[in-house]
Amino acid sequence: MESGQHMLRTGRRGTLFEFSMALRDLVTSYHRRGLAWSLAWHDVVSRYRGSILGPFWITISMGLMVLGIGLLYAKLFGISVAEFMPYVAMGIVFFGLMAGTINEGCDTFVQASSMLSQTSLPMFTFIWRTVLRNLINLAHHAVIIVAVIIFFGLWRVMDVLPALGGLLLTIVNLAWIAMLAAIASARFRDIPQFVMSVMQFAIFMTPVFWKPDAFPDRHAFLTLNPFYHMLTTIRAPLLGQEADGLSYIILAIMAVLGWALTFSVFAITRRRIVHFL
Amino acid sequence: MTDVSIKVTDLTLRFPVYGVDAKSLKKNLARVTVGGRLGASTTGATEVTALSHLNLNLRAGDRLGLIGHNGSGKTTLLRALSGAYEPDEGQIEVRGRIAALLDLSLGIDPSATGVDNIRLRGRIAGMSSKEIEDKMDEIAEFSGLGPFLAMPMKTYSAGMQARLAFAVATAVEADVLLMDEWISVGDADFQKLAHRRLLNLVERAGILVLSSHDAGLLRLYCNKVMRLEGGVASEVKDIRRLDELLAAA
Ligand SMILES: Nc1ncnc2c1ncn2[C@@H]1O[C@H](COP(=O)(O)OP(=O)(O)OP(=O)(O)O)[C@@H](O)[C@H]1O
Ligand SMILES: [Mg+2]
Repeated sequence: MESGQHMLRTGRRGTLFEFSMALRDLVTSYHRRGLAWSLAWHDVVSRYRGSILGPFWITISMGLMVLGIGLLYAKLFGISVAEFMPYVAMGIVFFGLMAGTINEGCDTFVQASSMLSQTSLPMFTFIWRTVLRNLINLAHHAVIIVAVIIFFGLWRVMDVLPALGGLLLTIVNLAWIAMLAAIASARFRDIPQFVMSVMQFAIFMTPVFWKPDAFPDRHAFLTLNPFYHMLTTIRAPLLGQEADGLSYIILAIMAVLGWALTFSVFAITRRRIVHFL
Repeated sequence: MTDVSIKVTDLTLRFPVYGVDAKSLKKNLARVTVGGRLGASTTGATEVTALSHLNLNLRAGDRLGLIGHNGSGKTTLLRALSGAYEPDEGQIEVRGRIAALLDLSLGIDPSATGVDNIRLRGRIAGMSSKEIEDKMDEIAEFSGLGPFLAMPMKTYSAGMQARLAFAVATAVEADVLLMDEWISVGDADFQKLAHRRLLNLVERAGILVLSSHDAGLLRLYCNKVMRLEGGVASEVKDIRRLDELLAAA
């Protein structure tokens, strides 16, 4: 329906109509996925322009943190380095993906305000841009993961498929959280600060640096933390352990409910978002 | 090509303004000649009615000039035609590929090279990577920037930046061309080139909508004219009756 050749914009015609328009935005963003990719790639390139190592600087700082915390905490907690280092490495890298996508999600529409107010580009394009940008960053940091997998011989025990499944579920969930954050931040400028505080808090409340052994299985402290499920479904299989099936189920339910909520909010606010900016 | 058209029916567009107290604004509303109409929406939020009950029908070959005071809604109408603003009431239907030359700096990244900016801007304007590569030489040549294209745009002078932005922005094939003020950039030589290129674009485009305060320009490029006043549109008239509309002020 929407193509380069035909554009139709109308006033409100009821809720169903608003949902169909929101869906059209989504579909158009899919047809123009190349644009989201170009923008994401451009973001990464332009952010690190003139720097020799580029995004690998973050990789290096993450790597240092992995080394430091891996060695120190292994000693403090009395766990072997071989067990703890890969654990922390994956924790830091994958939590980085979550925090990055959600924090940057807040700026998604605000940053794109000039484009949104002069063109008919789909809004979803900018969400994909944020998600893809963070995946590109993850691809750089994956060096650390590969390093610990090789160094500690995890390739003998790891199970890639469930880890990829966990990663996919995580990304699907991060995308709706980022979009909800993007809409809310456009309207209320306190949201980015709030989200940042939550993510800072979450990194300590989630077993990124520590092992949840002190808790009985499925303790509410862990079960109620969505980041725990995201992390454990990716990390456990890579460490040669089995993630609790419940975590996959919770992530799947969260994805469905989260997208239902986000898509509804988007359908209702879509017309106004450009005016919020 | 022949079914290029713009059809606007009963278009009303309001801007909600967040974080402003409508009551304190109303005190200062005596006799304003500029701007749209301020008012409070049903929910009590401040609103600016930028366009109200506007009707417009254009077909291939129509070159419409928009005139009106500052804040009368010209830019808003152009942005609505580009698809950025959703109508609050009414309907906008545009057939044909739209090119909006509203802001030359759209999507320009000053730290990226000229070539990268051509690619980025082209993608935003809806060109595919291949289309852009095909046109790259032509764009590069037209900009006249030569070796500077490999340098970051922040090293350009203002005129050089404008040349590049102009070259990319006008590289798109369009049926409907929207312009906010006639773009005049660069030195005398470039202005002549730019002028010819724009004319070419206008000729190829089925429809031009140009907002301008310059009556001479409008006479030169347009064959029709419409006047906006506080978001309310006059009838579309023949350009020969421009003086009538201007006098109505
Ligand atoms: N983003 C916005 N938020 C709130 N009000 C806006 C916004 N953009 C425009 N307006 C209001 O809408 C009205 C029309 O503005 P518009 O920019 O369309 O005027 P214009 O005819 O282009 O004026 P000019 O000749 O100065 O370019 C004005 O009253 C302006 O205050
Ligand atoms: Mg204007």
